[in-house]
Amino acid sequence: MAEPFLSIQHVRKSYGSNTVVQDFSLDVEPGEFVSFLGPSGCGKTTVLRMVAGFEDPSAGKIVVAGKDITRLKPNQRNVGMVFQAYALFPNLTVAQNIAFGLKVAGMNKADADKRVAEMLDMIKLPQMADRYPYQLSGGQQQRIALARAIAPKPKLLLLDEPLSALDAKVRVSLREEIRSIQKKLGITTIFVTHDQEEALSISDRIAVMYGGKAEQVATPFEIYNRPATKFVANFVGTLNVLEGKVTDAAAGTVQVNTQEVSLKGKLNGSKSGDTLSLALRPEAISLDRQPGHDTSLSGEIAEVHFLGSVIRVRVGIGGNTVSLDTFNNSATPPPVVGEKADISFSSGDMLVLH
Amino acid sequence: MKSGKFWAWVVFIVGAAYFFIPLMATVEFSLRMRRGVHSFDAYQIVLGDARFQSTFLYSVVAAIFTIILGVLIVVPAAYWIRLRLPQLRPIVEFITLLPLVIPAIVIVFGYIRMYGSNSPLPFLGSNMGANALLVIGYATLALPYMYRAVDTGLRTIDVRTLTEAAQILGAGWGTIIGRVILPNVLIAVLSGAFLTFAIVIGEFTMASLLNRPAFGPYLQNIGANRAYEPAALAIIAFAITWGCMSLIQILSRFAPKSSNRPN
Repeated sequence: MAEPFLSIQHVRKSYGSNTVVQDFSLDVEPGEFVSFLGPSGCGKTTVLRMVAGFEDPSAGKIVVAGKDITRLKPNQRNVGMVFQAYALFPNLTVAQNIAFGLKVAGMNKADADKRVAEMLDMIKLPQMADRYPYQLSGGQQQRIALARAIAPKPKLLLLDEPLSALDAKVRVSLREEIRSIQKKLGITTIFVTHDQEEALSISDRIAVMYGGKAEQVATPFEIYNRPATKFVANFVGTLNVLEGKVTDAAAGTVQVNTQEVSLKGKLNGSKSGDTLSLALRPEAISLDRQPGHDTSLSGEIAEVHFLGSVIRVRVGIGGNTVSLDTFNNSATPPPVVGEKADISFSSGDMLVLH
Repeated sequence: MKSGKFWAWVVFIVGAAYFFIPLMATVEFSLRMRRGVHSFDAYQIVLGDARFQSTFLYSVVAAIFTIILGVLIVVPAAYWIRLRLPQLRPIVEFITLLPLVIPAIVIVFGYIRMYGSNSPLPFLGSNMGANALLVIGYATLALPYMYRAVDTGLRTIDVRTLTEAAQILGAGWGTIIGRVILPNVLIAVLSGAFLTFAIVIGEFTMASLLNRPAFGPYLQNIGANRAYEPAALAIIAFAITWGCMSLIQILSRFAPKSSNRPN
């Protein structure tokens, strides 16, 4: 395996007795796009700020391209960063903002002008060179901030919730633009977000963080389909959690309410009598028996929400409630609350949460 | 509603009269030097007086040095407090208010005792030292205005994020303050500078007790010995002060604009 481009090794950050990041480690390959995903206060921004040099780690080491940068100042790291609040310099024009890092690095005016023009073309805003930040929309300001961060050709690009302040439509288009620019330049990128859709859609890998630790680091597909912990399963996507009791560990049977479910080969380490949390994604469940569905549970329709193309149905199964979506069909009326219903799914889609 | 408007106008007219009647009376009196007619004789005498020119020049130079010293002390201090030491803000605000509650005469007597020609720091042992001490004293007197003006300017920008954005682009502290922070609070600094100028031009106590040839003692001297010239001088000093205030207003239109403050 090639040497990682960015290596965060056993990093910890405490403020007095409050530890906000505990023993965080991550290796990022050259050109990789890794997202830190987690709720507010999980430590994702603190890790990013330690990589940028704005916070000193209480312990641990940060290595970029084989060089230990843990104690270097931010202006010595050759790292680019885009901030949530854009952080464009209000007194400078767009072109001057993009040229700022180039001037600081001592680039001559002709080369700097050429690079600024390249950057403006890259973000498709060549006509904005002479505007001031206050004359631009939020999306345009953030694209300029991206161009400014990339202009000095940094080794590493850090994006600190760059899309949070934008409206939904701009957010989607800009995240696609960020990903396409990142792929084109092949720049190693760390992206901090609390929006799971953003992280799932543009990342090579995601580090899901909680309580100052990485709960799971994996590809978006793995994070969604094979969450390693209960937190990851709950945080990423919608999840139905059913409480069950192991009736026969050897045979892999679990009792949910009064009904039996077979989970052969998934009960590693569990003993008969243990209580388990079982998880199912809504899209893995249907109200009628589908090909490949080997398990069914009986319950009662508890809620029906008509959302246009989709009907969201909640089915009560003993003390558990399962949510599932069905497509609207004009020939079939939606289920009625209080009706008996059988849900079916493939036991292979059921996750055992530890 | 109509009665409210009526009383508002009454208050406004009384306030305006309280302000303008003495001013108009002073202007009128300053024009009466020549018996029976209104003339600018008092202004001609004052403006033609060599002592007026030398003391005014002295005070202008002192004001410029005071402004430079004030900016050098206050801008980095206010910036650093906003960026790294926000917990010190109440203490610093209290310290900057002290010149308003401690009379200038107390400060200057303290200076005379501390920096006399026999002290370890004999500022008063030479003319240059006394001039420097006067500028330091003026910077202290102007501190409440300069600090508040700069702090208000810093409040309108996101100091921390702009600093970090500049740092990550490779900038050192000099570049950050010189190219990012100062240009964005320049109007606030200029406001503080003009307030400082207005204070220094009319200051009497420090200049008099330190025996400096400044404009304040000259004003006092003329006022004690002449009839019409002090009125003319008061109007001139008033015009200078109002000129400074107008400049603040005009310059604030050229402030760097932000998304929050587009106009």
